[in-house]
Amino acid sequence: MKKYIIYFIALFFSTYSFAQKELPNMDLKDTKGKVTNLKEFTEDHSMVVVSFWATWCGPCIKELDAIHEVYEEWQDELDFEFIAISTDDSRTARRVQPMVNGHEWEYNILLDSNQNLKQALNVNNIPHVFVVKDGKVIYSHQGYKPGDEEELYDILTENN
Amino acid sequence: MKKQLYIAALFLGSLTTFAQEKNHNISGGLESNFQWYTNDKNAGDFDDNFSPGEAGIDDHVRSNNYLNLRYNYGKFTAGIQGEFYLPRPLLNYSPYLDDSGVSTFFVNYKTDKLDITGGNFYDQFGSGIIFRSWENRQLGINNSVRGARVNYKPMDALEFTAFYGRQKEAFGVSDGDMFGFNSEISLTDLLNKDSESSLNLGLSYVGRSESTDSFDMDLNPDLDDITHAVSARLDYNKSNFYGSFEYAFKSKDIVVMNQNFINGLIKDGNAFLLNMGYSQKGFGVDWTLRRMENMSFYSERSAPTNVNLADFNMDIVNYIPALTKQQDYLLTNIYVYQAQPGVSIITEERSKAGEIGHQLDLFYKFKKGSSLGGKYGTKIAFNVASWYNLSGDYSIQSEGEDILDPSDDTVFDYDTDFFDLGDRYFTEVSFEVRKKFSKKLSTIFTYVDTFYSKEFVEDTSGEVNADVVVGEATYKLGKGKSIRMELQHLWANKDLKNWAAGTLEYNISPRFTVYVSDMYNYGNDDEARQLHYYNAGVNYTKGATRIGTNFGRQRGGLICVGGVCRFVPESNGLTVNITTSF
Repeated sequence: MKKYIIYFIALFFSTYSFAQKELPNMDLKDTKGKVTNLKEFTEDHSMVVVSFWATWCGPCIKELDAIHEVYEEWQDELDFEFIAISTDDSRTARRVQPMVNGHEWEYNILLDSNQNLKQALNVNNIPHVFVVKDGKVIYSHQGYKPGDEEELYDILTENN
Repeated sequence: MKKQLYIAALFLGSLTTFAQEKNHNISGGLESNFQWYTNDKNAGDFDDNFSPGEAGIDDHVRSNNYLNLRYNYGKFTAGIQGEFYLPRPLLNYSPYLDDSGVSTFFVNYKTDKLDITGGNFYDQFGSGIIFRSWENRQLGINNSVRGARVNYKPMDALEFTAFYGRQKEAFGVSDGDMFGFNSEISLTDLLNKDSESSLNLGLSYVGRSESTDSFDMDLNPDLDDITHAVSARLDYNKSNFYGSFEYAFKSKDIVVMNQNFINGLIKDGNAFLLNMGYSQKGFGVDWTLRRMENMSFYSERSAPTNVNLADFNMDIVNYIPALTKQQDYLLTNIYVYQAQPGVSIITEERSKAGEIGHQLDLFYKFKKGSSLGGKYGTKIAFNVASWYNLSGDYSIQSEGEDILDPSDDTVFDYDTDFFDLGDRYFTEVSFEVRKKFSKKLSTIFTYVDTFYSKEFVEDTSGEVNADVVVGEATYKLGKGKSIRMELQHLWANKDLKNWAAGTLEYNISPRFTVYVSDMYNYGNDDEARQLHYYNAGVNYTKGATRIGTNFGRQRGGLICVGGVCRFVPESNGLTVNITTSF
């Protein structure tokens, strides 16, 4: 019984705080080994979309393919950067670049191969999309269903 | 338990005080998985046979709950994770988790060059062959190290990491002390900053120190307190080409077979990994070759002899996953390969000391407008993975009657050939085509052909040849509605034989999804086992929150996610999952 009480008290305290999130001060590499610091990147670009995916995640591939189809139009209309962060670990990380090229995706691709960023942002399931405006997370969405990219488009247009 | 509660309460109290001020960042996440196990008239009554020593305990409702809180202020970050297994953990988790409290905590200070952590941390050296600490809740893995870690980047081209601590083992820590050192050196950055190619060198060391007092040193004169592991790797990249090579060596340690220490069998281990590929717009190819011999590495020597640890992936220091394609569908997840890093000598013909094999991946996109591409382009993916035993001499010299009796004076030994292939463990060929026919209709067609040796992969007997065909179609109905259907069939000549499966998923709105699925083992020779593994569920997603519920019968067997496997017993009941982050 005591265990349940502790659990619910912890739950209550955690929902009480609602400070806005920033991206953590972490360095991630791309497939060529070039390093990007996430916090600096969100300071240098006012609107950043961050999408967590993996080569073995079906809905993630569908999401990135769906956005790819409208990517050029969105880039013409809106000012934003798109980072697709692969949570593939060393078992499947080698598949990232061939798959990105095979699908012709034009996003910035970063590797989170020990899933440290995924843990820091409390991402439980992928795909998970964040929209970061002026360094603060304004939108967080778990999962992908056909048509979800329209909601993302709305968030980007409202805040541009 | 009480001490942990006070730490947690203090932490939470101070967090909420700071919550409203500027530049204080608080975030966190919650994940809850509840299961209500019911008695199944076909599969049998619910029986908690996964708690050795506590037979008869009958909690039908179980849950695993994880609450994670993180606080950041400038260069400082602190975090705490509580795990609550109420009233007991879900069926397929270690009985050692039957508790609740603080599972990990840390304090971190990070500047441009220095990153220092006290408490629990996660890290990986190279591809993980000698060290990886990570968390995967679905597999029940959390082998973070509790101690101290320092990471130093004196310049862009150099990075050094050192750590010391003990691995997390449920709510406690392992018996062995762990210490490690890693360096990443960008040779091209050091020699020529403007180079178009890049060449990186990595060197690592990991040691595990644990007393050998409980061993008979007359039988094991070569056994040391410390087991050392080293790895060296080179990574090369030039425009569309890339290649890398990694070699790892682990010093002598006592071998465990069938959960028993084999006195007198003190062996070292080694592994190498070679990878290369080429990738350009519309096309990518990647090839990997790996050999491993006696590369199981535990933070506590007795972990593989303890069924409450070994069966639940606990106390593992490194990451040596099966290098095969992660399959997505119900029927393609029945015959899944498990990596074979360890030693097992049963008879001189039926023995293994590791594995050798390769994997090839190919991705190609037929352009829009071309004859095979159609209006939207067609994407294909091809994969082949093939794994073998290490050939060599495996010997058993027995004086007594019973080889498996540890008091018997049996001497085991092995000596492997470096490149030769032994018995075949597994081969899989997969072919996938993704094609969009119109704005509304997109399809995926998959074919997988598998050879699976139950004798070597599962330590049972027999070999299976299986073929699976899957067709999937998604149709958009507009206004956020869509419907997805899968039809699958598996042909196999042995073991469970034929299966048919199907899934129907309806996205009612951007927030709600309902689905129903079934896997039917109609071909099983045993009529009583010709079962339907049906499942139906509803999911609700809003922003970062997802609530899902489903009921049905879960197939027992190996559930493999990300190359790491866990045995899941057959069960029937209701499941509720809640995840959110803030």
